[in-house]
Amino acid sequence: MESVKLTIDGQEISTAKGKTVIEAAAEAGIAIPHYCYHPKLPIAGNCRMCLVEIEKMPRLQIACNTQASEGMAVQTRSSKVLEARRAVMEFLLINHPLDCPICDQAGECKLQDYYMEHDLKASRFEERKEHERKREIFGPYVVFDGERCIKCTRCVRFLQEVTHTGELAVVNRGDHSTIALFANETVDNPLSGNIVDICPVGALTDRDFRFKVRAWYLKNTPSVCPGCSTGCNITIGSYQNRIARFKPRINEEVNSHWICDEGRYCFHPLTEVERLTSPLVRQEGGLAPTDWETALQAALSGLSAATPLAGVLSGRNTNEEAFLFARLVKKLSSQAAIEAVYYERKLTEVEAILKSPDRSPNFRGAREMGASPNGGFEPLLRQLIGGKFRAAYIVGEDLLSLAPDGEKIKNALEKLSFLVVQDTRLTPTARLAHVVLPATNFAEKEGTYTNRKGRVQKLNAALVPPAGALQDWEIFARLQNKAGEKIFYQSPAEIFQAIAHEVVRYQGLSYAAIGDQGVQLSDET
Amino acid sequence: MEKVLLRNIDVPDSHTLAVYKSRGGYRAFEQVLRGMSPEKLIEEVKASGLRGRGGAGFPTGMKWSFVPKDSPKPKYVICNADESEPGTFKDRLLIEKDPHAVIEGTILAAYAIQSHTAFIYIRGELVFGSKVLQGAIDEAAQAGYLGKNILGSGYDLELILHRGAGAYICGEETGLLSSLEGGRGWPKVKPPFPATHGLFGCPTVVNNVETLATLPWIIDQGAARYAAIGTEKSKGTKLFSVSGHIRKPGVYEVEMGYPFKRFLEEDCGGVPNGRKLKGVIPGGSSMPVLRADELEPVRMDYESMQAAGSMLGSGGVIVMDDSTCMVQAAWNVARFYAHESCGQCTPCREGCHWMEKIFRRIESGEGEKGDLDLVLNISGNITGNTICPFGDAAAWPAAAFIKKYRAEFEAHITQKRCVVI
Repeated sequence: MESVKLTIDGQEISTAKGKTVIEAAAEAGIAIPHYCYHPKLPIAGNCRMCLVEIEKMPRLQIACNTQASEGMAVQTRSSKVLEARRAVMEFLLINHPLDCPICDQAGECKLQDYYMEHDLKASRFEERKEHERKREIFGPYVVFDGERCIKCTRCVRFLQEVTHTGELAVVNRGDHSTIALFANETVDNPLSGNIVDICPVGALTDRDFRFKVRAWYLKNTPSVCPGCSTGCNITIGSYQNRIARFKPRINEEVNSHWICDEGRYCFHPLTEVERLTSPLVRQEGGLAPTDWETALQAALSGLSAATPLAGVLSGRNTNEEAFLFARLVKKLSSQAAIEAVYYERKLTEVEAILKSPDRSPNFRGAREMGASPNGGFEPLLRQLIGGKFRAAYIVGEDLLSLAPDGEKIKNALEKLSFLVVQDTRLTPTARLAHVVLPATNFAEKEGTYTNRKGRVQKLNAALVPPAGALQDWEIFARLQNKAGEKIFYQSPAEIFQAIAHEVVRYQGLSYAAIGDQGVQLSDET
Repeated sequence: MEKVLLRNIDVPDSHTLAVYKSRGGYRAFEQVLRGMSPEKLIEEVKASGLRGRGGAGFPTGMKWSFVPKDSPKPKYVICNADESEPGTFKDRLLIEKDPHAVIEGTILAAYAIQSHTAFIYIRGELVFGSKVLQGAIDEAAQAGYLGKNILGSGYDLELILHRGAGAYICGEETGLLSSLEGGRGWPKVKPPFPATHGLFGCPTVVNNVETLATLPWIIDQGAARYAAIGTEKSKGTKLFSVSGHIRKPGVYEVEMGYPFKRFLEEDCGGVPNGRKLKGVIPGGSSMPVLRADELEPVRMDYESMQAAGSMLGSGGVIVMDDSTCMVQAAWNVARFYAHESCGQCTPCREGCHWMEKIFRRIESGEGEKGDLDLVLNISGNITGNTICPFGDAAAWPAAAFIKKYRAEFEAHITQKRCVVI
């Protein structure tokens, strides 16, 4: 690739031909402040915050629209540049309501950040501020405050260029310019939440998140979205051991800068449930709480006595859990069938930008960890309904909720001589079980998922599991130990090490090397 | 002085094809079709020294030569007839009285860059003008000057008249392009420039009405003849729209380099009613005002106006006598720009309104110490930092009014009233 050499703030930089000054600077670790520029959107050049001084050019130039060229000398912190930035900050703030104390963007607002860096002066504006529409509902997840808006048009461009749904436009002129919905439109496309993320100020806020937590109280944990097998990288923002929001985390190999709305809000049904805090064992009159030792012993005796055994794993279980589960089920029954739950739905064109048709984030990894070769989840379900199995061990899924076969599955499960259900809550499926084992959800565990395209990515625990629940891998390991096979793993990292030894396609991988961007399985393109 | 631009306007029915042809109209285009290559045509216009009459004064032939010859995309020529600069009404006269000169000029420009679709983007308010122009276009098409295989030459050209919807910013060439594309009249960030990425992303030339209307004469009479008129760097003649406190307002064709003071006093009859001249905006409302005592050395050409601290601009001469309150004048101009700012980029969107509000406050007797320096500072913060020249157009006059008439502004602030009787 052809490259050009230039200097930015005296630092010699080499960059690919065609890159802009703002990109070249970013590569060299020099951050040029900006509002309207976004690496994934077309250049708008309207905020004027990225003005820089370029040798031999009489006027300041916007770094976002100026191509780096051979021998160019750029100043990003000259007095002329700093004064221009201060002026842009002042202009942006004269009509701004300065309502940071009640604004959800506070703490992660570029107006606040750049004001601290570039202005820090009292306002010279003594005139009446222009007023605009407040609290206008733009869509199911997005609300607009016209007074906080700086007209950078990132939202408009996102809806034009990424989703191609074009619900928003700029209307009116001058300082009455504002963002507005087209008539009879709402921003309800499947990626709508992203316009909140790219809004650099508090103009667009998330109706689900707003007023819940101040941004600076959030604990941010990098993880992977459990919504489908695309495996979008996310940051889990949590507060007081509850998830407050998902934000997309940049990964150009997976989701770029975006996540879908379904994924963004999937933590509500997955985590906001009445949790099981004690193992349950069926006795006269129903399920009764007991201690782990009793429950595990009951599960082991029951499962060993009834064969053939069906092992059903959730597509949200990690590779490490699936690895142990497969070994455990095979140990318990020589005629075991093991599958991860998998079901698809049809996607619209906009949904298909990010979503995968199936909703199991790790169906692929779970299967690669040792599902038995019986042709997938659907055939196993048919066999189960057909009465092939005498026992079942169901992890993390409410099979009864699977339309349209719920009733048939219920009948089949009732006929089993032994059923163990491991889940975070007492699901209708769990109510049929002989033993119920309280487990953890995606946000409470560490481990890896393998996405649809074969990228191994890491989950990190954002929340502490409730007392009484155990990590899924730990439950499997304890049962295995009870069954007479000594398992000494102390953590998902150690289990992954075993996977890297034993599972052919994962050979040579290291847990540490997965990092926060994941690794691609080698024979995948 | 021989008239180049206003040569036909006093002839009855000058807007008709018959009269235009009887005065030598379309002779230039026929001559080009008979054997002048596009390259030669561009060279001829370069040699004439003609500079853009829309305000910026960029050499016309050079602008054409930036259009890539080998582009696989269609090329467009656009006649900018969105004349909206306060104090400017010269293009309107040409459109209404000599529409065929505008059309022939547009055809010549189109031929020079081998464009087959040309547009005339006319200000929406010019209803009469657009009717006259459409009539002339129809006549020209009927006579075979437009359409397929023009006069048997094999050259095709379609000319489309498009009426604007009423925004000053659509006179800025890239704002015009956005509007013509069907979008909001927002100027485009440059680069890329219209010569390579203009209308619908295709190579495009945008020329002002007056510029284009000059072309038939230049081709017919020869570049050398045109270049012999005017000064060394400002060739030819230029139209000036004179308005305000002046005895004979109207559109004047003046040889470049003509003494400005003499023009006002002799050609235009001077200030009426025994009043004294207080100031003149020489090039449309966006140009810095000149005080009466600054006019002596000023000549009516690009260089001399610039040396005097203003610009020739669109040639909109606004004359103000000593009954004019300069605070009110400054507020008037500022109000126009605040109203017309498209709102796209930060300094112009916010700064124009801020300046307007301060001027309004001073004018209504609520001015404060420090206001003047604040406006000068805001003006400086807009200048050069915006997407299009609109920011400068709003910032320059604001600063100029204060700098040139500071004492009057200060009196307004301290005495809380107008000091002009």
